[in-house]
Amino acid sequence: MTIAVDEQSRRRTPRHLLLLLPTTILFVVFLVFPYFNMVVMSFRNPSTRGVFAPGFTFGNYLESLLDPDFYYLAVLVETILFGVGTAFACLLLAFPVAYHLARTTWRHKALLYTFVLSPLLVGVVIRCYGWMIILGNNNGLVNNLLRDLELIERPIRFLYNYFGVSVGLVHVFLPFMILPILGAIQSIDPRLEEAAQSLGASRLKVMWRVVFPLSLPGVQAGAILVFVLTISSYVIPILLGGLNVMIMPTLVVQQLLDAMLWPFGAALAFILSIAGALSVYLYLRFTARFMRGIS
Amino acid sequence: MTALQIRNLEKRFEDVVAVGGISLDVEEGELVSFLGPSGCGKTTTLRCIAGFEFPDSGEIRFGGEDIANVLPEHRNIGMVFQNYALFPHMTVRGNLAFGLEMRGVAKSEIEKRTNLALDKVQLTGLEDRFPRQLSGGQQQRVALARALVVEPGMLLLDEPLANLDAKLRDEMRFFIRTLQKEVGITTVYVTHDQAEAMVISDRIVVMFEGAIHQIGDPTSIYEQPATEEVANFIGLANYLPATVLAAEANGVWRLRTQAGEIRCEFGSELAPGQPVRIIIRPEAIQLAPANGMESKADVTSRTRNVLAGKVLERFYLGNIAGYRIQCDDGLVIQVQAPPWASYRNGDLVRCLFPPRRTWIISDCESSGTAT
Repeated sequence: MTIAVDEQSRRRTPRHLLLLLPTTILFVVFLVFPYFNMVVMSFRNPSTRGVFAPGFTFGNYLESLLDPDFYYLAVLVETILFGVGTAFACLLLAFPVAYHLARTTWRHKALLYTFVLSPLLVGVVIRCYGWMIILGNNNGLVNNLLRDLELIERPIRFLYNYFGVSVGLVHVFLPFMILPILGAIQSIDPRLEEAAQSLGASRLKVMWRVVFPLSLPGVQAGAILVFVLTISSYVIPILLGGLNVMIMPTLVVQQLLDAMLWPFGAALAFILSIAGALSVYLYLRFTARFMRGIS
Repeated sequence: MTALQIRNLEKRFEDVVAVGGISLDVEEGELVSFLGPSGCGKTTTLRCIAGFEFPDSGEIRFGGEDIANVLPEHRNIGMVFQNYALFPHMTVRGNLAFGLEMRGVAKSEIEKRTNLALDKVQLTGLEDRFPRQLSGGQQQRVALARALVVEPGMLLLDEPLANLDAKLRDEMRFFIRTLQKEVGITTVYVTHDQAEAMVISDRIVVMFEGAIHQIGDPTSIYEQPATEEVANFIGLANYLPATVLAAEANGVWRLRTQAGEIRCEFGSELAPGQPVRIIIRPEAIQLAPANGMESKADVTSRTRNVLAGKVLERFYLGNIAGYRIQCDDGLVIQVQAPPWASYRNGDLVRCLFPPRRTWIISDCESSGTAT
């Protein structure tokens, strides 16, 4: 008995916290510090000669939020909506795949997992050029094919709009949606589906009333991942959307690199972060109502 | 009237035969248990009836129609699972309402019927709880109510009590049996617990390795086991290898064993010279001192068999005392006696048992054909 107590008290000593040290250092040096730096930067005075001028101001925020055309706010809203849309598209495509992966008894399951992860195995730029070849507005594979089949007369504009960007983003973010949902579905007892069937539910009803609600923790996680990745993505939107698709990251980079307005760019970036975090918080609050009883 | 007819049902999983062509009739309102060790095919059979597995061949006739290839949602068969399979994201009321909603029952009617069902399983007041807020026994009753509230044509129970502790399990046996009789629903019950099967069933189907070894009421399953497996699985049994000598009057047979001649009552025909096994249940044997008063009379008695032996071990179980007795020819038999008779290790005793408390298994049958 005393030995057990001793062991317990020894386990409570903060020595095990040392294990957290490497991660903590990494976070502080490479995340907290730069972030803090960015926030400070967003309150600096703009300068045409250096990175910033001396003194502090709220001007950058006032300018971005109260701009008379509401241009920046409009881009922000568009970015958020685009993030929601991409997450939703990923969800629609990911759910059947995740369900199949979770329930398959196929011997070569590992092969399917590899397919799921395959978009991540190719570099982002190469992937984008691949999509350009396929979806090209003039001589893309799809357009040529449709023209040869005489289904269309003029090429369809797939690229340099939100559609093209979505295709590129959904393609690479799909694994981030599939994997959490896969995990959630794997933890659902298949007997629940059988019970629902024996009570008269069709396959579709089983999915909608039993599997989907119980996979919500995974859906929630996947949606947040895809949403956050989307609203902060830069390379894919710039390559597949050009300047026709103006979302916050593109705007921020413009301010930083083209206009050299570091404080203003920092303010926009911080506003995007806050808006993103707020969206995630509201989403969590909203979905929690449907997850009573399961978590 | 026959509610369920199974004919030559066969189910294979790749090369493994799970159910090897079984046939069975279940009467309307009857409770039939499938009893057997794990992997004997009882659960597979149940899942075929429910529609979660489709048989490779054979018929499952329910209400006169072959449902072997009908989807489970169109069978109108209720099922209770070993782990209850309650929907964790729905309240008790939500769980009960689910089946009715699937059938498009009106809201007010759903409310009425779920209330009635809750009352029947004594869960009124818990309708707004989620399954994880209930005890095992309560979850079990929700599962029963959920299956019954849609008024299915048949109820299937797959080891419904396996996850409960021993005391509650005993209570729930009677609860399920009473409820089943009250509702009058045809029920198929799967268990590996012989006591449970004995208590709850009208008839028991004993299965081994995908084959039915015996179908009968609890008494005949215990007292007249068809095969050695059945005798072994249900209760304890002693086996004496023997050769048939001749028939006597009233279905009594004379057999020769290494320990001497034994008389057995056995209804069916046996051929003289046929090798068989005699089954004696431990509680059928009475112990007497080796040099007791009635010694001479017993040996010659036609109404009692006698085996002489020595007590190897005695163990006390409270309601009974068990003995391991070594007979003269080296055979060890088990005996259960009242706890107050206290023979000690090494005591010489006589084992007495009447012909009608014995049973015979002919070896050629023990490979297991259905009876």
